[in-house]
Amino acid sequence: MPSEAVFRLESLLDARKLGRTVARHQAEPAQVVPVGIPALDVALGGGWRRGEVSEIVGPRSSGRTSVVALTLASATARGGVVGLVDTIDRFDPASAVAAGVDLDRVLWIRGPAITVEHARAAVVDRAVHQGVRALDLVVRAGGFTVVVFDAADIPRKFLGALPFATWLRVAHANAGQPTVCLLAGDAPMGRSPRGATVELEAAGRWTGASPQSRRLAGLDIRARVRAAGHASDVTFTFEQPSP
Amino acid sequence: MLFMFFMFFMVKLFDTDLTMFCCLVLDVPAPPGALADVARACSPTVETIGDQVAVFDAAGLERVIGPPGAIGQAVSRLAADRGLTVRVAVAKTAAAAALLAHARSGLTVGGDIQDVACGGLRDLFPRHDPRELDEVLDTFQGWGLRTCADVARLPRAGVAARLGALGVALHQAASGEDVRPLVPIRESRRFIERLELEWPIEGLEPLAFVLARLCEPLAADLERADRGAVEIATRLTLVSRDIHARVLHLPAPMRDARVLRTLIALDLESHPPAAGIDAIEIELGVVPGRITQGSLLTHALPTPEALTSLMARLGALVGEARVGAPALVASHDARAIGMARFAPTDALDGSSGVWPARSSPDAGAGAGLRRFGLPLAARVVTERGAPIRVVPAARGLAAGRVVDRAGPWRSSGRWWAFDHTRWDRDEWDVELAHGARLRLSRDRQAGRWEIAGAFD
Repeated sequence: MPSEAVFRLESLLDARKLGRTVARHQAEPAQVVPVGIPALDVALGGGWRRGEVSEIVGPRSSGRTSVVALTLASATARGGVVGLVDTIDRFDPASAVAAGVDLDRVLWIRGPAITVEHARAAVVDRAVHQGVRALDLVVRAGGFTVVVFDAADIPRKFLGALPFATWLRVAHANAGQPTVCLLAGDAPMGRSPRGATVELEAAGRWTGASPQSRRLAGLDIRARVRAAGHASDVTFTFEQPSP
Repeated sequence: MLFMFFMFFMVKLFDTDLTMFCCLVLDVPAPPGALADVARACSPTVETIGDQVAVFDAAGLERVIGPPGAIGQAVSRLAADRGLTVRVAVAKTAAAAALLAHARSGLTVGGDIQDVACGGLRDLFPRHDPRELDEVLDTFQGWGLRTCADVARLPRAGVAARLGALGVALHQAASGEDVRPLVPIRESRRFIERLELEWPIEGLEPLAFVLARLCEPLAADLERADRGAVEIATRLTLVSRDIHARVLHLPAPMRDARVLRTLIALDLESHPPAAGIDAIEIELGVVPGRITQGSLLTHALPTPEALTSLMARLGALVGEARVGAPALVASHDARAIGMARFAPTDALDGSSGVWPARSSPDAGAGAGLRRFGLPLAARVVTERGAPIRVVPAARGLAAGRVVDRAGPWRSSGRWWAFDHTRWDRDEWDVELAHGARLRLSRDRQAGRWEIAGAFD
């Protein structure tokens, strides 16, 4: 829900016939791609906006990959094709299938399999530039429902070193297309003005009383959604299927 | 009166023989199209009946070669030079030439068809229903008719009344008349462009301009002929006299000049020539143009042209083996992954297109696993075999105390192999004090611990 201050500002702008300068919270249903989690979809105004660049950010184990997988599952279930720029080759097809992703409709672009935690800076830098170039190619080709740039686990300094115009160029290429462009990383990178940033935190959900039955059942995720004109907090849970 | 005589004289002067046909029949089987090539070398108007018989219009050849006998000999020589054993017949009508060629071996020029057996008429109607043909020819035999002359002597009106249209056609052929005009075969057209360069080209950047110059007329030809390219054969003649040849197979027929040029350029970038380029030749393998119609009921997919170009660019960027659709591998090794060709279809596979609403926020998919392509080595402190502290061998991942864990899950396989495909490990899911949730793996043979992935 918009905050009180924003509501008063919007009313003031409407009174002065300047209401068009403020982005409305609720997007038309046909212009969004839902994630598949009702609470998150409501917070996003129905889902990720098509033609915009949005972000999923958070620290390691905060649920970014799970949200990406559900978004891909939602898009492929509707018959769309999706692109995944896997910058450092960390995509797990088995987890994606468990989330409901139709693998036949996923274009997987695998970057070099590097252990970014201790790789040389030049190697990581090259992988990042290669990933950005691949993202640009896929977005410009068109015809994809969702295109994900998976830069999670890449240290901020490498993404921060990219020219700011990088994300402006991606947003410009994506504008007007029926494509959701998602950037997944440790920190915000460069969403478009009408895109959304979803900041995640998670706690593990463990089940089983005995050491033999103990398992990581899922993640309890708290998400803070920031979009043009509003911010909201939602919580939801992912459950891990039994091994 | 004087004018009419003058015109008759001019016609007789310039037209020694108004019509002349030549028929070739193979005596010994030959490669497909070989006989048609011989006929085509003599005349542009050629009709073939399978690969065994070819008839061509020889009118006008007497001005070049000579009388019909010389024409027949020239054709026989040409066929022999190409390794074909043929019967050749030259006559005023195609029907007479065909009857003579089937009935007599060697070269027959202007012969009489009167004593050709009337069973030979069957060869002139290869596409007709054989049962109907047999019925009429049996009738001729029943009437005591043995030769074409016997059939020709029958009154045509009577043949029409008793045997119908097929009987009339056979009567015409037996009389040496053409039942129908020659239906010439159309020569298959090649879509090929070649350019000899004045100066050799070194490097691929200047080649882009040359490729544009070759691809644009090819694309225009494809458009005019309503064809699409499914194969691109590029042949570069190098300064070293070698030929650098590349063949690209396209997933769908295309005729856009820019797409063709881009695909050739990207392929040559991945497989560059070893020396400077002297000449370039591009030949397209074509099929009839593709008819497409968009649907309001299915999602729009990338067009084949855009997808082919995209895949070529991504392949040049990251390597062709690293672009495609992910695929599960039927293996007991949970780490095994594969890739398949990315070829989406517009079929929804029975999906209603409506995402089913989740019954509750808890009902969902599993937590995503981020697989470390190169597992990260770690030193793990254990207590009674269970991990209690993890110290990764990388600065980028903090060490931590294990606050919760699940496992071990034991798996092993390919015990007969002595390479990296053999495995025997225990896996644990652990949560560290700082919040990281990891999948640990311990090699039971070597005793090494590594971090195989992280839950995210």
